[in-house]
Amino acid sequence: MSPSSRIAHAPPRLFHRLFIANRGEVAVRIAKACDALGITPVFAVSTADRGAAYTDGREVVCVGPGRSSQSYLDAKSLVQAAVQSGCTAVHPGWGFLAENPIFASLCEVHGLTFIGPPAHVMHLMGKKTPAKSAMGRAGLALIPGSDGILADAADAQAVADRVGYPVLLKAESGGGGRGMRIARGPDEVVPAYNDAQAEARAAFGDPRLYLERLIEGGRHVEIQILGDRYGGAVHFGERDCTVQRNHQKLIEESPSPVLDPAERERSLAAAVRAAASIGYVGAGTMEFLLDDTGVLRFMEMNTRLQVEHCVSEVRSGRDLVTEQIMVAAGHPLRMRQEEIVLRDHAIECRINAEDPADNFRPSPGTISRWEVPKDDPNVRVDSHVTSGYEIPPHYDSLICKVIASGPNRDAACETMIRALGELVCEGVSTTIPMHLSILGSADFRAHRYDTRTIPGWPPKPAKSAD
Amino acid sequence: MTTERTNYVRDSRTVRPLVTARLVRLDGGRLAIHAPAVGLWRDRPPIGSLVRPGSLLGRISLLGEDLALVAPEGARGVVVSAVGDKLAQHPVAYDDRLLVLDRAVAAGSSEDAAAASGEELSSGLIVRAPSSGRFYRRPAPGKPEFVAVGDVIDTGKVVGLLEVMKTFTRIQYGGGELPARARVIALHAEDEADVSAGEPLIAVEPV
Repeated sequence: MSPSSRIAHAPPRLFHRLFIANRGEVAVRIAKACDALGITPVFAVSTADRGAAYTDGREVVCVGPGRSSQSYLDAKSLVQAAVQSGCTAVHPGWGFLAENPIFASLCEVHGLTFIGPPAHVMHLMGKKTPAKSAMGRAGLALIPGSDGILADAADAQAVADRVGYPVLLKAESGGGGRGMRIARGPDEVVPAYNDAQAEARAAFGDPRLYLERLIEGGRHVEIQILGDRYGGAVHFGERDCTVQRNHQKLIEESPSPVLDPAERERSLAAAVRAAASIGYVGAGTMEFLLDDTGVLRFMEMNTRLQVEHCVSEVRSGRDLVTEQIMVAAGHPLRMRQEEIVLRDHAIECRINAEDPADNFRPSPGTISRWEVPKDDPNVRVDSHVTSGYEIPPHYDSLICKVIASGPNRDAACETMIRALGELVCEGVSTTIPMHLSILGSADFRAHRYDTRTIPGWPPKPAKSAD
Repeated sequence: MTTERTNYVRDSRTVRPLVTARLVRLDGGRLAIHAPAVGLWRDRPPIGSLVRPGSLLGRISLLGEDLALVAPEGARGVVVSAVGDKLAQHPVAYDDRLLVLDRAVAAGSSEDAAAASGEELSSGLIVRAPSSGRFYRRPAPGKPEFVAVGDVIDTGKVVGLLEVMKTFTRIQYGGGELPARARVIALHAEDEADVSAGEPLIAVEPV
């Protein structure tokens, strides 16, 4: 038997035990992929999540107290917990340490496969300013701004004066809209710099900032990428995440209803080329701002699975988390680009435990009753919540994602409205009323919105009968 | 954290750094020692040995780094049970129960169990936490505190930040029975303390 035929007949190798260094909804999502692949997941939990129902019947290791800096952000404790529980792979999920190259390196040093790109690629792309210059070299359009990290507030002032107002100060290690501030004039730069820095330090442990000209009225479009270790890369289409509040995505959909087909084709091909050019491995997302001239300008790359990956899963019929685990285990991509067929229109609503009627005040507490719509093939619900679940105050407020699909955008909206109407969540305030108002609004249906405005929210007062 | 020498180091090695175990009071005067970190626990004290504050309770290995596990304040008693008897090094998770101590068995354990509990703060004029979260006394590390004892404050004055689900909210003085102008007489919540809804943050008196 020749060496090549031995390789060809070798059974696929995969991890037996996988450590989930995350919590809540994403931990449940990863465990589902593990179940599909026959891998035993081991959950990291903090004392605040120790009794949560989503870990029932699962192996858990308590890694620290509720405060995330001493549990889900404590790289050494997580790696030790993974090693001593016999795992050979670590999935970081999203948030927490998902884009931390030091954590990825620490995993590799201790014999654990990190489910994500190699640490050096993550370092390049996870840090925003080297990513910008690398993608600029790969031929993507960029947003004008600072050439790397700002030295101090005075530097910010100088760069802002050069690129022109308004400007956006962004955290180098940021994500999810935290550590960002807008300055509309010269006298706002220093306070914005200080505020953004304080928030970045608290949220990410990294106070470094950079600056870009703020493009107002743009739409947020992103491209889902999957790469393997052998230079292969494919895309799963784009997602439009324009409906945001304070840079926190509320609704994501695919395809983007306003993207020009020619610009879509060009950008998807360029994104795949760019991912391959940097040796990207695993699932990743390139985020763009669609400006008023219809050009997609590269903003940043998320070197991880994203919350809204389900939208692309629904359209492609592929499971991105299992594919991500497979390529991390060393398998080549299991599909070619032309085999990925994107069908229909898919919309995702993020349901947060916040009160939209009270300025989105976080609403931690106990969910007394929880029921999700069932038996509709066009509706998918991803959640870690059950009746009796207590939402801890330590973490973010996402409790559930609802994904609805249909042959076109309006059909998907109608399915979503019906599904949200059937979803029962008692005990805490949620953003469901806001989503219903958005989905039913003429502004949302007719694309009259951008990243600054939430279409259909706050609701207009009902018109009187006359 | 104490650096007191212990009963259990039988060789001359110096073990650093130290990590202090967690103490949990059980019914019947017993005390439980809980793990303060994830890791491999070894060299645990044998059943029947006496534990005092500062005693070495073995070592926890965290990614190859040895942490000396030290008994906390108030840990006093005789070891009556321990986990992991069969293993030379026992994998423990954060807050796992490691040892149970019986105080009655230990001679001369006369200290009273009535720990000074936090005094009730029901009287007086109090600014309370609007919801549970983490309280910050200052706008940023290294910056001065928003208010200090003796300050005279008016309605609307920012007295702290509250971080709930990673979102920062300013806590402003005022509302309810609070006078429009008052003097700060005490700061109850520590900087970066986890507070629950309604917990007293600041006490004031009318000017």
